[in-house]
Amino acid sequence: MKHMQPLNRKAQRIDDYVAARAEDVVALQNPGNRQPPQRPHVPMGCSLMFSPGWEVDSAGGTAGLCQPVERDIYDCWVTCYWPAQVPDHMNNSPDWTAKCASATKDWRNLDLVFP
Amino acid sequence: MTKAVWAALTFFCVALSAQAQRNGGQAAPSQEAKAPPEEGIPVTDQLVISKCGGCHTRDAKGNMLRISWERATPEGWEEAIKRMVRLNGLTLTPVQARAVVKYLATYHGLAPEEAKPIMYFAEHRIQDETNIPNDAVRGACANCHAFARPLSWRRSAEDWKLLTNLHVAFYATAEQAFRRGLGAGGGGNAPMVAARESGTPKLPVDEALAFLDKSAQLHTPEWAAWSARMHAPRLAGRWLVSAHIPGKGMYYGELTIEPGAAADEFKTNVKLQSVKDGSSLVRSGQGVVYAGYSWRGRSKGSGNASTVDDLNKEAREVMWFSPDESQAEGRWFWGQYQEFGIDVKLRRTSADPTLIGVDRMMLKTGSQGNRVRLIGQNFPAQIAASDLDFGSGVKVQRIVSHTPSEVVAEVEVAGDAVSGKRDIGLARSVLPSAIAVYDRIDYIQVSPESAISHLGSDVHPKGYQQFEAIAYQRGADGKPHTADDVELGPVDVTWSVEEFYAVFGDDDKEFVGTLNSAGLFTPALDGPNPQRKFSRNNYGDVWVVATAKNEKDAEGKPLVGKSYLVVSVPMYVQFDQPEVGQ
Repeated sequence: MKHMQPLNRKAQRIDDYVAARAEDVVALQNPGNRQPPQRPHVPMGCSLMFSPGWEVDSAGGTAGLCQPVERDIYDCWVTCYWPAQVPDHMNNSPDWTAKCASATKDWRNLDLVFP
Repeated sequence: MTKAVWAALTFFCVALSAQAQRNGGQAAPSQEAKAPPEEGIPVTDQLVISKCGGCHTRDAKGNMLRISWERATPEGWEEAIKRMVRLNGLTLTPVQARAVVKYLATYHGLAPEEAKPIMYFAEHRIQDETNIPNDAVRGACANCHAFARPLSWRRSAEDWKLLTNLHVAFYATAEQAFRRGLGAGGGGNAPMVAARESGTPKLPVDEALAFLDKSAQLHTPEWAAWSARMHAPRLAGRWLVSAHIPGKGMYYGELTIEPGAAADEFKTNVKLQSVKDGSSLVRSGQGVVYAGYSWRGRSKGSGNASTVDDLNKEAREVMWFSPDESQAEGRWFWGQYQEFGIDVKLRRTSADPTLIGVDRMMLKTGSQGNRVRLIGQNFPAQIAASDLDFGSGVKVQRIVSHTPSEVVAEVEVAGDAVSGKRDIGLARSVLPSAIAVYDRIDYIQVSPESAISHLGSDVHPKGYQQFEAIAYQRGADGKPHTADDVELGPVDVTWSVEEFYAVFGDDDKEFVGTLNSAGLFTPALDGPNPQRKFSRNNYGDVWVVATAKNEKDAEGKPLVGKSYLVVSVPMYVQFDQPEVGQ
């Protein structure tokens, strides 16, 4: 039984969100012929090390990544945050940012590195 | 504190670390003097001795520092050599580098049995790693890279320890992963606290070392046997190929391997034909075989590659040949993230009738007039319906047509035929688990179940993702989603993208990219997007949903399967060793 209707778009979004959550509960209650609720999990090779992580955050999604990642990328480079995903300043790629003064503007100048 | 005290302290620290370095080498006597050092593998190659010997000193037995206590895959050695060039001042020409990798990956390589479980790493398959013993080891090693990376090496206990030192020296954050495991970097410090409370003061790195000392030893029975048995590969000849291409179905054909410039180098020509639309694919290339069994090659299609997933694209090849050189399996792959690929299985041709494949993967119970096309070689000139065997409950009604390489038969499936995978037999050839008998399709699953795609642009190539919807029958236990479910093969579906509710109102699905009608996901542009809040990138998490066109559930609704897709930023460092195939 549903007594309340969403009045505006924000309320509608809350309603959708609750409905999406509720579906998982229903699925849990009827394991028989229904598909069990699928939970996200991180594919192999992703860095989980920091939160936020490089490709995914500790929850296995992108919600916790820097917004945009270019704002944080030099900090990752300088302090060697994600050594397997972002070049590191200390040893392997000291000149990585030479062509790019501001990553949020000149991100196209950042090269991919093949160590 | 005064400057003098600081200077004294600094000197003390430097002196300590110098002392530690002196004691770190393989040949140096350990202060604790526990077990005698393990026997090394002597290096006999003159080029390796001359190029590496400047730093890696050689003892009276011919053992070179570090190198003699290590074994690795070709990719492992290539990576180490590239690091030596980058950071340690090694200079060598491409020809010399190839020779060094060849020698090390062969005489300091892995036995076929050791390499098989981690071939997915060289083959660049994205899959869940089930070989990680516990969360401490996962935290210490697989936080940053796949666990297959350490498992691509075999080392002495001492050398594994030196490897962890290298990590701490080169990658500052490794120290944190080693000490705090999965909790590193502010992800919560639960693992460390739990370890302390349970009375085991072991750090994650200690647990990782204990595991590797046990399961990735330098000396193993497998390597002892293989180093005696290894010989120059005799792969020249004709091979039957069955190939699965995600999204494009099965291909069958023949591969010819011809001897190349050296005993371990070969040239290839392959012709494959699609069972779906009959189109043919011709590719040619070359390959190198390491350690007598491990194929690394390159090949290219005869046509022009027009799209990103075009089968004529130049591809790298990684294959594992069985020690008896009668069969092989592997992957031929391409794409910036090696996301496109052909899964291949090879078998030597023989003079006998041989089945290699079938054009359909499922037969419904209680159906008649099902046309089944069998593909193979040397089929007899006369084939009667009774020569074909699909197991009980499946009757061959008639042979529609036949050639030496193809038989088309019409089969009838009894209403009470037992569901499950069936072998197909023709003369003395049996094709195991070739076709499945089913009563109804219980569910569909999207493959891969979880996937990652990378945003890209003109400067950072995109990482695509191909999806496929596979039908399943519930299996003998009557319950779906259990281990005994019967895979029935791909089904026709309509593809769509659904929001994954992680962040309220982020509308990821509007930004991450597009999914076409064939299940190929193309990610959007990388870089900040001013149209999103905080100019966030086009990254996001979404469900990729497959809705079956024909199959319905008990309530009459179409069957639906979904896969979790992370669309993320480019990988700026790509540890990849394409050189091993050149």
